[in-house]
Amino acid sequence: MRCSSRIVLTLATAFTAMTAVAAPRLQAAEPTTGAVPRSAPASLAELKAQYRRPETIPFPKDNPYTVEKATLGKKLYFDTRLSAANLLSCAACHSPAYGWGDGQPRGIGHNMKQLGRRSPTIVNAAFGEIFMWDGRAGSLEEQALGPIRADVEMNLPIDQLLAKLKAIPEYQPLFKAAFPKDGMTPDNIAKAIATYERTVVSGRAPFDAWIEGDERAIPEEAKRGFVLFNNKGGCQNCHSGWNFTDDSFHDIGLSDADVGRGKFLPAIVKMQQAFKTPGLREITRRGPYMHDGSVATLEAVIEHYNTAGVERPSRSELIKPLALSAQEKADLVAFMKTLTSNMDPTTVPVLPR
Amino acid sequence: MKLMTVALVAAFVSGSVVAFAAEKTISQKGRAFSESAVTVKKGDTLTFVNDDNIAHNIMSSTAGNEFNLGSQAPGASSNVTLGNAGEVAVLCAIHPRMKMSVTVTD
Repeated sequence: MRCSSRIVLTLATAFTAMTAVAAPRLQAAEPTTGAVPRSAPASLAELKAQYRRPETIPFPKDNPYTVEKATLGKKLYFDTRLSAANLLSCAACHSPAYGWGDGQPRGIGHNMKQLGRRSPTIVNAAFGEIFMWDGRAGSLEEQALGPIRADVEMNLPIDQLLAKLKAIPEYQPLFKAAFPKDGMTPDNIAKAIATYERTVVSGRAPFDAWIEGDERAIPEEAKRGFVLFNNKGGCQNCHSGWNFTDDSFHDIGLSDADVGRGKFLPAIVKMQQAFKTPGLREITRRGPYMHDGSVATLEAVIEHYNTAGVERPSRSELIKPLALSAQEKADLVAFMKTLTSNMDPTTVPVLPR
Repeated sequence: MKLMTVALVAAFVSGSVVAFAAEKTISQKGRAFSESAVTVKKGDTLTFVNDDNIAHNIMSSTAGNEFNLGSQAPGASSNVTLGNAGEVAVLCAIHPRMKMSVTVTD
């Protein structure tokens, strides 16, 4: 199983994309699930311990990290020739300029057509359990070729992708170095892109400094917000662990008609209009919010949860009116703002010709 | 005489399956399976008990041993018998971090 096949690599070795990160104290290859025990309220120290950054990036056993794969993967990720129109790269919708999303309510695909859902960030994808808003991809490798071949996205059938890449001489040695055995294949294109994506990890944020002991790292209202997040707000029921997600599916009562996870689990009432919980790292760079991009600001996000949205059978039992005061709402927003790091600019690679 | 031997062997085999079929119970408290890996024999019964406080949806899409228990409410339990030898990946389709592996032996 994927969980037991993970290997780890130090962040210092793997980083190609983000800011350098001072070593946190906790060694953890797996993100914690981090749910607060319901029987006894956790102390502040116990709560903080649930959100410590891992020290390593997990890579799957069947696609371990190599510099060659990550280097090739980065070039592929930023290469617009992976689309039929030579205009869209992976980075078009998952751009370092927008917290590795696109800053749009919904993605824009082939022929400038608007897609059905917001482009999710790839930040911390290495730690994900399942991919896409509806969980239809079980791994990054499985996901990587999907948008390339999708006619509404990059619109490039995989045989044509191969033909295009084979006609670019400078790609050949890169594939050979990364995959000495079989070189350029669809699987290896996916493996290289997935390897690069796993190196995109959120930087150390003020929140990390605070939970490691620096009391001046975040304002008092953010500290109150963290407690609210874990208690009255109940946010941690889903946004748990250091990456603030449970990788699970919930209907949070938004008003659009998209069935989400329900497409794959039509008989499960609670999976209708359910979407995967997004992580919250780098959150201020990633608006607008929700799977449909319908909520413009973090303040409006809190307001949505405060009123609990549309009441219907599929809505998660965890979503209920919160009766937050104006101060409490402000505190929660202040807390979320501490999850964004000062990311260094990402270098755009020179592409093979 | 030969026919009788065959019949006896057949009876023994089928009898042994009945005699040794076993049960194994997996619980799901705190969004986690109580075991991450178990080994069972073909024909053994795996019982998934939902002793958590939320619904789960246990399933496997491993070829030859696919099953889907659907929505399992807190307090409910369901049985699964796996018919083919091999490694079976089991997960909760609602909470995919809940996963375990079942090794089915002949």
